Amino acid sequence: MNEPYQQRPFTTPMKKKLVVLFVIVLLLFVCLIYRLYAITRDNGQQYKKQVLSQQKYDSVTIPFRRGSILDTNGNILATSEKVYTVILDSVLLSSDEDAIEPTFAALRSEFGIDTAKVRDYFEQNKETSRYYILAKKLPYENIQNFIAMQSEPDSKIKGIWFEEEYQRLYPGNSLACDVLGFTTADDVGSYGLEEYYNDVLSGTPGREYGFMNEEGTLERTTISAEDGNSIVTTIDANLQAMVEKYLKKFNDEYENNFHTGNGANNLGCIIMDVNSGEILAMASYPDFNLNDTRNKEALIGMTMLDDNGNKVIDEETGDKVYITEENVNTIEGDALYQNYNALWKNFCISDAYEPGSVSKPLTVASAIECGAIKGNESYNCEGKLEVGGHEIKCHNTYGDGILTVAEGIERSCNVCMMYVAQAEGVKNFTNFQHIFNMGLKTNIDLAGEARTASLIYSADNMRSSELATCSFGQGYNCTMIQMIAAFSSLINGGYYYEPHLVKKVINSSGATVENIEPRLLKQTISRDTSDMIISMCNNVVTGEHGTGKTARPAGYIIGGKTGTAETLPRKNNEYVVSFLGYAPVDDPQIAIYVVVDRPNVRYQDDAKFATRIVRSILTEALPYLGIFMTEELSDKERAELDELKIEITTPVKTEEELLEEGTENAENTEEIQSVPDEASQGPGEIWKTFEIDPETGYAVDPNTGEFVDPETGATIGGSFSDEGEETPDENNGIKEITYDENGSVVEKQPR
Amino acid sequence: MADRFTLKKYSTSRFFDSTLMLTVILLIIFGLVVLYSVSSYEASVTFNDPTYYFRKQAISTVVGLVVMFVVAITPYRLWERFWGLAYIFAMGLLFLIIPFGYEANGAKRWLRFMGTSIQPAEVAKLAIIISLAHIVCRLGNAITTWKGFFIAVGSSVPMVIAIYVITRNLSSAIIVFGIAFIMCFVVSTDYKKFVLMTLFGAAVTALMVYVVVQNKGAAMGFRGERILAWLDPNAYASGKGFQTLQALYAIGSGGMFGKGIGQSMQKLGFLPEAQNDMIFSIICEELGFFGALCVIALFLMLLWRCMVTVNNATDMFGALLVVGFMGHIAIQVILNIAVVTNTIPNTGISLPFISYGGSSVVALLFEVGLVFSVQRGITVRDS
Repeated sequence: MNEPYQQRPFTTPMKKKLVVLFVIVLLLFVCLIYRLYAITRDNGQQYKKQVLSQQKYDSVTIPFRRGSILDTNGNILATSEKVYTVILDSVLLSSDEDAIEPTFAALRSEFGIDTAKVRDYFEQNKETSRYYILAKKLPYENIQNFIAMQSEPDSKIKGIWFEEEYQRLYPGNSLACDVLGFTTADDVGSYGLEEYYNDVLSGTPGREYGFMNEEGTLERTTISAEDGNSIVTTIDANLQAMVEKYLKKFNDEYENNFHTGNGANNLGCIIMDVNSGEILAMASYPDFNLNDTRNKEALIGMTMLDDNGNKVIDEETGDKVYITEENVNTIEGDALYQNYNALWKNFCISDAYEPGSVSKPLTVASAIECGAIKGNESYNCEGKLEVGGHEIKCHNTYGDGILTVAEGIERSCNVCMMYVAQAEGVKNFTNFQHIFNMGLKTNIDLAGEARTASLIYSADNMRSSELATCSFGQGYNCTMIQMIAAFSSLINGGYYYEPHLVKKVINSSGATVENIEPRLLKQTISRDTSDMIISMCNNVVTGEHGTGKTARPAGYIIGGKTGTAETLPRKNNEYVVSFLGYAPVDDPQIAIYVVVDRPNVRYQDDAKFATRIVRSILTEALPYLGIFMTEELSDKERAELDELKIEITTPVKTEEELLEEGTENAENTEEIQSVPDEASQGPGEIWKTFEIDPETGYAVDPNTGEFVDPETGATIGGSFSDEGEETPDENNGIKEITYDENGSVVEKQPR
Repeated sequence: MADRFTLKKYSTSRFFDSTLMLTVILLIIFGLVVLYSVSSYEASVTFNDPTYYFRKQAISTVVGLVVMFVVAITPYRLWERFWGLAYIFAMGLLFLIIPFGYEANGAKRWLRFMGTSIQPAEVAKLAIIISLAHIVCRLGNAITTWKGFFIAVGSSVPMVIAIYVITRNLSSAIIVFGIAFIMCFVVSTDYKKFVLMTLFGAAVTALMVYVVVQNKGAAMGFRGERILAWLDPNAYASGKGFQTLQALYAIGSGGMFGKGIGQSMQKLGFLPEAQNDMIFSIICEELGFFGALCVIALFLMLLWRCMVTVNNATDMFGALLVVGFMGHIAIQVILNIAVVTNTIPNTGISLPFISYGGSSVVALLFEVGLVFSVQRGITVRDS
């Protein structure tokens, strides 16, 4: 076209402007380079972490299945079941308009979800939300229909997926609650076996993750979870249920009896195989539902604790406050955890108390074993004994007269025991306490066993008066498991077994990983001494003056020892009563120990509260354990057994034998029945002349007006001591204290 | 054979810029390597073929190189004859989008022609350089007047509006306008107009930002949200600020020397459009701050060689073609890096020669061809 403009050159001013342009561009580049540098310098580390943390989103943790807890016969006590969480991916669902309605309809029909609420959420978040929980912990049965609908070829359901997890289930609810313990939300064991065997029960979680392979393509890899091992316990679920039934029955009988609250502050029972240390049943009351551990209703009836775990005292009356339906909801914060801790802990291993007279066989056994006495000595009981400037009383303040050591055990004579202990001396006594494992942990395989080292005397700080009281089980503390383990060694020939609850560890496919054999720790006494103790303890139940007669179940003869211990402070009419027995008498197989901590009655110092429970339990348990009956049954006993549908295994006897025994039995019955009439039997038995109070059934001392047991002469509500007790530790006494491994007071606050 | 013969014939007497050639080849090869590294994950997930993007880009590059060669040996004055046709052709392609365009990623910006897709906006950038070079030459000294200036800049406005209205692509519209603005700037002898216009533009932008911030929370278009996300990307981390934040994470986590080529983590599905507008942040992540400096240095070398070419061009039309190319490269590189560093609000601008996009690479190599063609007009004086 026009030639001139085509030939125009690019002029010098234009070249200058081009340089200006280039400089501007250069400056902008410099700015951007600085910006890049600043980002790297200021945020480099932060962004590096950010990038790495984002990577984790790509990997998914696969939960492991926690191992089960089985009873000795393979019955499930605790198990984990796979449950499903229903998740909505709003972004995915909103990508297909046609899928929205069918998906909501299926959610409503299959899971009963309130779709109006979900729809609101979906409409507001459909561009961003990929994870919204619709329902939690559904078992597979509840979701299988939905999954079938989802996987149909022309299914219009979209954006719903399931996340797997495991939920801990306890089929027995409260069965063996204190032994089993429970798990917190993140599958960590709390209390009992769940805590002690947490590492065994826990598996290794698996992972599913993506990574770039050498060719730069994405691969997904799954490392499957490794399930935890299961444990087989020595607990027999049937026996455990029997024990819990009768503890509950006792509670129901005495609940709100003398004051509001449970039938006793604590009830505990252990049944142990004396020849292996295996625990066959272990229970305490109050109990709780393992599937609903935080139900406040379970706290009702317990003594109320404050933020520091001390008992709440009513300011007006000075009485302890018990938890009732009215005040249960006022407990909050730390106090609530203190009360829960009191509920969740295992009384049988966590609480230390003064054992009382059940320790008398230990005193006698140690005295015989160290040669201080032969076992055939006699001592004169005048109702009290002055030791080290203190006047220490017997239960029967009128005096039992001249008693052999065996009679001292039978009648539970304190004075007799004090003489025995004096004979052996402080050094031997404390030495044998150590041999019997008093003050040491039994190392039972349960979490939360109390340490009692500071709750017993040593040879250095035990004086004659303390030796005297310790001889009948006052002044030092022990736990139930310590006492039954020590006592078992007295009656099995002297073998001290470490008590244990788990006999086998099996893996998820059922193969045995580990067998846990009984652990024989030491020989406490000789077989001869053991035999002597057995014969003495048999008299407690069978003897004329035996304190434990009421513990004998129909059809059997058992042995044992009663205990009635005063709690601290003395003379406030609070007692821990107990019975520690065994069966069968000729060859003890099992030991049973029942402790009733402060029964809810006016007069607590009566071992019958414990012996009756033992009788009830053994009446069912001995036939269940396959121990044959040896004794003739009265009509009343037959009726009782029939009602319980227990098979009577009394051996059928020939007519001759029947005739012989018939006369013997007649004599025996006559003797027992005629006891009150034989007031002139001994010079010491003055209490048998007292009048009987028609209301309580106790004899009344005309001089003091005190109630007296008409059979044993023991003063009701009496104290062995006239003055305050000196103890080696201010905690000494029946304080409910729980110690952890380090000896510090446990204050558990499970998440 | 004839082509080769021609090259040889003039190689001794005519100016051939081997530095420019080397720079372009380096950019292309570097671009393909980075693109493969960035896109292989996304491609294997989406297309089950890690080389999907790489192959397509490689084919486009070969086509582009052929086009570059043909354009380079064609006398550039030939294109002046087609200045009007080029403008109309580009506009026509833009309007064809209305009935025949197809959508991708929620935007209707592409035409499909014989199995290949074309982005008319890229053709428009090339067309505006050719037509405006002619218009400015023709205006001559009149360009210094306000009237002449408005005719020159105004001639790009129909195309700018067409791009924005039809494709809703603000970035391409800004680039086309920017190319026209820079070409006019260089030929005009004064500064006043440009300073005034720049100040006016800055004021309008500041006002817009102010209004958006004041109406925070009220319903506004996605551009308003992008401005808010630009000011505080963390507050919009799951929405409009997501891409920007992920880009910043990539840059920051790369450090001084990067994680090594192929080692980016952000490309694994975290950074959207990693192979496109955000490719520079992955370069930073894999090659670090120094890698980014090298890329910027290559672009600066390209611009430098263009400036040398312009200063030696035999006529104004040829010089303006090269100035247009300079403007095109400078604007896109600066805006792209500014976006990934969150210096300006997020808007989709690709990085020349490196970002994925067939139309873009062919159009760019066409422009490089023009630069070589202009250089062929320069006679080297014997030294």
